[in-house]
Amino acid sequence: MANPPRIWISNEAPAKDEIVRVRAQVVHVMESGLRQDEAGNPIPRDTLERFEARLNEALLLDWQPETAVAQNPYIEFTFRARESGVLKMVWSDASGIFAEAEKTITLS
Amino acid sequence: MTSCADLTRRRVLVAGAALGAGLVLGRAQAQTSSASAQPDSRESDRIAADFLGEATALPEGLALDLPALGDNPAAVPVRVHVTEAITDELWCEELIVLAERNPMPLACRFRFTAASGSADVAVRLRLIETMHVRALARMSDGRILEARQQITVAAGGCGL
Amino acid sequence: MIRRRSLLVGAPSLALLATGALAAPSALTPETILLPRAGKGPRIVICGGGWGGLSAARHLREELPEADIVVLERNPVFWSCPMSNKWLIDVVDTAFLTQDLLHPAAKWGYHLVQCEVTAIERDKKLVRTSKGAVDYDFLILAGGIRNAYDAWFGDDAAAAEYTRTHFPSAYIPNAEHLALKNKLKNFKGGTVVMTLPPPPHRCPPSPYERACLMAWHFKVNNIPAKILILDPKPKIAPIGAGYKAAFDELYPDIITHVPNAKVKEFDPWNKRIMTEAGDFDFDDAVIMPPHQASEMVFYADLIGTTEDGKSTGWADMNPRLFHANADEDVYIVGDSMGAISPHFGHYPKSGHVANYIAKIVAANIGQRVRGQEVVAELPDNLCYMLVNGDPREAISVEFTYSVGSDGLVHQNQIDIDVRTPDLLEEDFVWVDGMFNDFLR
Repeated sequence: MANPPRIWISNEAPAKDEIVRVRAQVVHVMESGLRQDEAGNPIPRDTLERFEARLNEALLLDWQPETAVAQNPYIEFTFRARESGVLKMVWSDASGIFAEAEKTITLS
Repeated sequence: MTSCADLTRRRVLVAGAALGAGLVLGRAQAQTSSASAQPDSRESDRIAADFLGEATALPEGLALDLPALGDNPAAVPVRVHVTEAITDELWCEELIVLAERNPMPLACRFRFTAASGSADVAVRLRLIETMHVRALARMSDGRILEARQQITVAAGGCGL
Repeated sequence: MIRRRSLLVGAPSLALLATGALAAPSALTPETILLPRAGKGPRIVICGGGWGGLSAARHLREELPEADIVVLERNPVFWSCPMSNKWLIDVVDTAFLTQDLLHPAAKWGYHLVQCEVTAIERDKKLVRTSKGAVDYDFLILAGGIRNAYDAWFGDDAAAAEYTRTHFPSAYIPNAEHLALKNKLKNFKGGTVVMTLPPPPHRCPPSPYERACLMAWHFKVNNIPAKILILDPKPKIAPIGAGYKAAFDELYPDIITHVPNAKVKEFDPWNKRIMTEAGDFDFDDAVIMPPHQASEMVFYADLIGTTEDGKSTGWADMNPRLFHANADEDVYIVGDSMGAISPHFGHYPKSGHVANYIAKIVAANIGQRVRGQEVVAELPDNLCYMLVNGDPREAISVEFTYSVGSDGLVHQNQIDIDVRTPDLLEEDFVWVDGMFNDFLR
């Protein structure tokens, strides 16, 4: 992928139960389906439909963006660092998985 | 050294006319949009009523941060967070953000779990015109928290 | 048996004549010829040996193996402005930014002459320089920018010189870059003011990067300093959200961004600046005056005018083919280029765009010389901006272009506001690719 997800984490080695902040951004056109092309034909909707973040198996966040979400969607969220493990993030659109990213969280 | 003394007192006027060297260029045609703003908050209210069910929204415990003036309507930063304590016994299950006058007012939906340990999110929205943004959060004890705020945006150009 | 060709000392030869310095010294006259023609193809003179000029020279050599390609550059050594903010805090060293210019000239095979362009006589297809005149079939102006202190100070050259000497802008290589780094390393504390030029200007996101890296230096060295960014724009752009997060989270006690701070009056002697957003006293400053096309575009009389007859300060040129509107044998490459489209104004004045336009222009000149159809191409742009020194985290902006049904160029901008180490890694991959293309 030419432009992979960009991930920032406030602390990859948090204390147990520390609140960790995550920022993630992908490049996606977020075509609303409400626009017309130059010939006046509707441009089909092409939006990101889901973002999921899990620490190991535990679901932390499920985000469902709609047409009001800006291009190149940006999401910031926080979670409680209950254990060490892999923070896994998956973006999906109508055609399936759009992007994936992982970060290792190690309790200090 | 008199010339130095003169120099230190000298001020230099900036020639105002030459400063705005940037070209002033007209706006041009882009792709057209069939998107039209909601005439009122009815559709947004309907979505909110669905979310509320039997509950009554409490105007507390939920913070909605967005600028009063959206200088870039294509990407307005919006942060929503539950301000009351999130514990293993009481957490936020679901959160919706409504852009009341957008063609499709439901901007996005979030679901959290007991594992999340927090309910604090920020996204960027495109807003078609000046409107209220509304957020509703359902807590695990069934209460619904609400926040609502107006934002003024320059019309058009939001890319919807 | 002597296999190699040898040159008799004293015998007239092309190589000796080609370097005027080796001929017996004589006074320069208007008739002094810098270089005799070489090769069977057209002569293409490139004014400026920076990102754009060297890229054009390399790609023209490949397009037109028989062309006589001459690069005129006033600096003895190549100095890259891209990556120079990172050099301020030693993320890269001086050797990384510099390159002896003889190397690319020898590697790709073009003439390189260190001289100052003093006049351009388009009617005679002649460039006059501090070492003599050189004629051309095609001319490429790739001189970058000039600091338009005169837009502030009029003809008060003393004020301009005092400002340049004491508060260097460091947007034109390379003495000012060295001066700025010395000032930064020796700064003991106080308020530093940074004025941004009004748009369009060279490398739009880079003043904010410079502010971040100077602030990082102050922070880690416990220097009690404040940086005031006096921005004529109403908001930070591009990558506004990414920069705002960096300012607020990494340098909250150091950086203050002041929007709508168009400069009204400036007193360099008393270190005071008056803007539309208020008046500010400072201890030191990085004063960026308005930018304009390089002097040689003025010498060639190719600067545009607005509808009300004022100078635009930038080249008046074909936005798709990059030649001057007044002279299709003269091309403008890089930061001197004028407006491209009413949708967005200028292409970003970046090294990436200069390299890309140089490649397009080289291909277009090749097509013309071979009698082929000229194909108009579009560039793209990419900038990585370091905002944190430890960990080293960068943000980025990417631009793509397309032609709409209105026949005009449209711009799509992608700001990546999330600061990450991988964006800096990509920056190094990018710059290596660029340097390998035209320099190393």
